[in-house]
Amino acid sequence: MSRGVLVVEDDPDLLALMEMILQDAGHHVRTAPEGRAALARVAEEMPGVILLDMRMPGMNGWEFAREFRARHGRASPIVVVTAAENAAARAAEIGAEGWLAKPFDVGDVLSAVAHHLDRAG
Amino acid sequence: MHEAPPGAGEPPLRSTPASERLRRALSWPPLRITAIYAACAITWIVLSDRVAEALGGSGHGLLYHTGKGTLFVAVTSALLYVLVDRRERTLLALSDQVRATIDGMADAVLLVDERRGVVDANRAAVELLGVGSRDDLLVSADAWIDRFELRTPAGAPVEHDRLASARALGGERVAAYEAIARRGDGRDVFLSITASPVVVQVGRARLAVTILRDVSAARRLEELRDEFLSTAAHELKTPLAVIKAYAQLLQKRETVAGQGLVVIQRQVDRLNALVQRLLDTTRLRLDAGGGHPERFDLGAVVEEVVERARPSAPAHALSVCCPSPAPIVADRARIARVVSSLVENAVRFSPAGGPVAARVEARDGQVVVSIADRGLGIPPERQARIFERFYRAHSGTPQDYGGLGLGLELSREIVVRHGGRMWFESVPGAGSTFFFSLPLAAEAGA
Repeated sequence: MSRGVLVVEDDPDLLALMEMILQDAGHHVRTAPEGRAALARVAEEMPGVILLDMRMPGMNGWEFAREFRARHGRASPIVVVTAAENAAARAAEIGAEGWLAKPFDVGDVLSAVAHHLDRAG
Repeated sequence: MHEAPPGAGEPPLRSTPASERLRRALSWPPLRITAIYAACAITWIVLSDRVAEALGGSGHGLLYHTGKGTLFVAVTSALLYVLVDRRERTLLALSDQVRATIDGMADAVLLVDERRGVVDANRAAVELLGVGSRDDLLVSADAWIDRFELRTPAGAPVEHDRLASARALGGERVAAYEAIARRGDGRDVFLSITASPVVVQVGRARLAVTILRDVSAARRLEELRDEFLSTAAHELKTPLAVIKAYAQLLQKRETVAGQGLVVIQRQVDRLNALVQRLLDTTRLRLDAGGGHPERFDLGAVVEEVVERARPSAPAHALSVCCPSPAPIVADRARIARVVSSLVENAVRFSPAGGPVAARVEARDGQVVVSIADRGLGIPPERQARIFERFYRAHSGTPQDYGGLGLGLELSREIVVRHGGRMWFESVPGAGSTFFFSLPLAAEAGA
């Protein structure tokens, strides 16, 4: 079964929205408003995939990714959610497995999550 | 001050280049000194005895000859002194002037000799490196690496053989490269360094001149720029992401409000495209880099862009004619933006609909993309300015269909930076065709 999705995003509206989209699609969703809280969620239970915003107050996406890799290696794929011009390069920078460019299509979020959960088995 | 003798009476400095003054000061006076001396000596030889005879002094005794010889030496010594002194003062004046010029320069200048010792430095160098006096800089160039902790922008120590002065002594002209130095007061300074060999005609000395420019401010601005672009993108696009996704969700659930939600999504996409264009323009304006080059088929990108534009142009017949594969190495996202900008323009400026035809032709190492419409065309008197930033060819006319006036300027800039060019043909009332060319990539595996 799916190990669930961890959404790390500081904008409460966007966070609530992604939570809703993913729950509607039948995923188990947990959320964190920034990196440090996200590390705590990860420690409780390893998610099947992490959707990660890059610019957040507190611990940002870069720091979270570095810390996560140091502690857990590639235990969970990371999908970067970014407004940056070159989302793919941004994702490569932190060794993320995928990326979503803001503003995204709802369908793209679902297919990215499904894709990575499938691969994780 | 003393002017060079041949230039006396001329207006100072501006009329005679310093190098010319130096050449004159160095080449004329010795000849003059010798000539004047020779003329005086011959005159003396020819006339001295006759004058003495005429004056009644007919004696040819020892005393007479000694007196005559002493007088000759005294007169010519005085003459030599005047001439040599004058030449020396000229040289000193010139050397002062060169010194003052170098000291007056805003950039730090170092002179390095063939043993790689720094033999001279100007005032700006003393200030730039925050040392007490010029003498603190007059050490070997290699010692500079340790003393000022010279590092590459990545933080690695500069290698001795890579020192600009060392390379210039080897005859190389070193174009501006960047390095970080730690000043005497411990602060880091970002330097742009150039160096060139100095060709000295007299004395055959091998020297190199190194120029250091403080680019810390530009560097800080660059960092601020990246930060700004990143923040602006995040701040502008996060709300768009929320609005767009909610509209999509509601559209699925609420059939009644469906049309309104479609419009909201379309407007969000439009706003997003404008935000992207503003960010791109800002980035490109401030960024000398070539983006993220990769190898791809330009024909496929043109097809994708046209397919994406099709739904928002129901009144237009969009077509693509791609006879051959056109592999290029470029920033795919930016090139796609160029094509989409041209297609958008073609649609926007043919309000009555009609064909919009994209063509991709590869030949002679180039690929030429053209986008043709049968729309309004551009008034001839406005054609010359259409690539200017913010310029909108139809502004103030009944055919003003909006836009920011950034698309063409940005597109051309992108194309030019990829080694290509952009041009157009336009007939008012008959339509416009925009072209751009890019170099084809070498065969795969080459």
